[in-house]
Amino acid sequence: MATAAEQWVLVEMVQALYEAPAYHLILEGILILWIIRLLFSKTYKLQERSDLTVKEKEELIEEWQPEPLVPPVSGDHPALNYNVVSGPPSHSIVVNGKKCVNFASFNFLGLLDDPRVKAAALVSLRKYGVGTCGPRGFYGTFDVHLDLEDRLAKFMQTEEAIIYSYGFATIASAIPAYSKRGDIVFVDRAACFAIQKGLQASRSDIQLFKHNDMADLERLLKEQEIEDQKNPRKARVTRRFIVVEGLYMNTGTICPLPELVKLKYRYKARIFLEESLSFGVLGEHGRGVTEHFGISIDDIDLISANMENSLASIGGFCCGRSFVIDHQRLSGQGYCFSASLPPLLAAAAIEALNIMEENPGIFSVLREKCKRIHKALQGISGLKVVGESFSPAFHLQLQESTGSREEDVKLLQEIVNHCMDRSIALTQARYLEREEECLPPPSIRVVVTVEQTDEELERAARTIKEVAQAVLL
Amino acid sequence: MNVWVAHSEVNPDTQVMNSQRIWLAYIILAGLLHVVLLSIFFFSIPVVWTLTNVIHNLAMYVFLHTMKETPFETPDQGKAQLLTHWEQMDYGIQFISSRKFLSISPIVLYLLASFYAKYDAVHFLINTASLLGVLLPKLSQSHGVCLFGIKNTEGWGWG
Repeated sequence: MATAAEQWVLVEMVQALYEAPAYHLILEGILILWIIRLLFSKTYKLQERSDLTVKEKEELIEEWQPEPLVPPVSGDHPALNYNVVSGPPSHSIVVNGKKCVNFASFNFLGLLDDPRVKAAALVSLRKYGVGTCGPRGFYGTFDVHLDLEDRLAKFMQTEEAIIYSYGFATIASAIPAYSKRGDIVFVDRAACFAIQKGLQASRSDIQLFKHNDMADLERLLKEQEIEDQKNPRKARVTRRFIVVEGLYMNTGTICPLPELVKLKYRYKARIFLEESLSFGVLGEHGRGVTEHFGISIDDIDLISANMENSLASIGGFCCGRSFVIDHQRLSGQGYCFSASLPPLLAAAAIEALNIMEENPGIFSVLREKCKRIHKALQGISGLKVVGESFSPAFHLQLQESTGSREEDVKLLQEIVNHCMDRSIALTQARYLEREEECLPPPSIRVVVTVEQTDEELERAARTIKEVAQAVLL
Repeated sequence: MNVWVAHSEVNPDTQVMNSQRIWLAYIILAGLLHVVLLSIFFFSIPVVWTLTNVIHNLAMYVFLHTMKETPFETPDQGKAQLLTHWEQMDYGIQFISSRKFLSISPIVLYLLASFYAKYDAVHFLINTASLLGVLLPKLSQSHGVCLFGIKNTEGWGWG
């Protein structure tokens, strides 16, 4: 193409300009006008529309009445009259000066007041001091943290575990680390508040399915499949998650994990399992609901639990495959931006794990006690037991509601107060009523621990029966 | 947004084109492309300029109007997931200086290319088509427009 004849000479080029075809010069003229228009355009935002005139804006401002910063609250709101506990909330708890048997604290394995755990925490306190004063990335990683993560991963038989310093923040940070805008999360209606906040932070599309209803979940998954077939390109980049709890905090029921795993593989969704109540309770060795059903732990993509129940420590952990958990080390907001777990609590958790590993018999003992009191509480007139027979935290709901939630709460509170007078410490399940997605009905939450003797369980069942009869009839 | 200074910019993609040093780097890069093409001895001058124009416009189209979202994870849960870099620039404000610069530079390249091609008809067709392909997505009316009706997809089409 290029020959010696086609040499670049300025004069020739300018001559070509004079002989240029007209359409070309016109186009170039238009382009130069376009450049001038661009140079003189003012910047503006695309969606700046204000339909209101200045007068209308003034009117709106004058009409506005500010709401009080603190809304008026009645004097007998439970948050204003709380019971004061002195001493540890272990097997016997001193509430408002009265000693009661503790049926309210989630101290399932009785490790809260265990001397071994306390000794380990004291040793750690003397070695490290009290707090860490820094997040994990800023000199807040101590060897006890790495030890605890190791031990938890080994205990749950997964590749890796990650520790959070606050139980609520665990699942609330784990979900938004993986699920972003445009992703779809199928979650049970009875999911706890921490899961709801995590879902809200993730900005994903939330699909609620009826509690433990696999048919409803499958319907939603099928509808999503049909949507995906209409737009396969979008479907390829959308992530789908199913978030369930092992033992639900709000209802005490267990999730049907085998069916969930089948649905997971059929519809290509990932399962996030929240095991706060089932860790250290279900399964032969206390590994939770996967061991209970005999499902391989590799089928679950992420297991999250808080250490504030069975392990009687503070904080939470997530465990799973390495490449899943590692992502949270940079994307878990609660991990990166909160101070790490105090070393004494990490040492206490390690000792608690030691105890759990040394006597795996306590889990079946706990489940036996749960079944016993579950049976003993059947047939109370006016109250029904909600929850699995082997769940250590179950609910007592009114068989027939009075019609208003406040009345129900008042009735249940009377029952709780009478039981407290007879030295049985119970509590009502409390919710942020305006913030909950699907507010559960008011209930009394009964917690069984391994330290309660059979005689105390019988006495508690009898007391609740008598009090319920007196109050509700 | 300066890079080695603490800033609260959640999505750096929005600010990266605003610095004048980027503009200089862009000009140098385009010049480098041209010099490399010039060094291929069997291309004539008009072909070199047309090729520069076409390759520059193609690269601009791919980087600014095709790829969606950011090459890194942002802490805003993927707000810019469906936006090309052009739409992300300065959060969608139109006629900022970097948008003006990036709209004018392909036009300038086109004017130079047609000059050096001596206003030849074949080169005119190729250069004009390429210029239109890279100017149309830059119009403020093209903000958010999906090409060929492919909505909400990742990685293709402008908008």
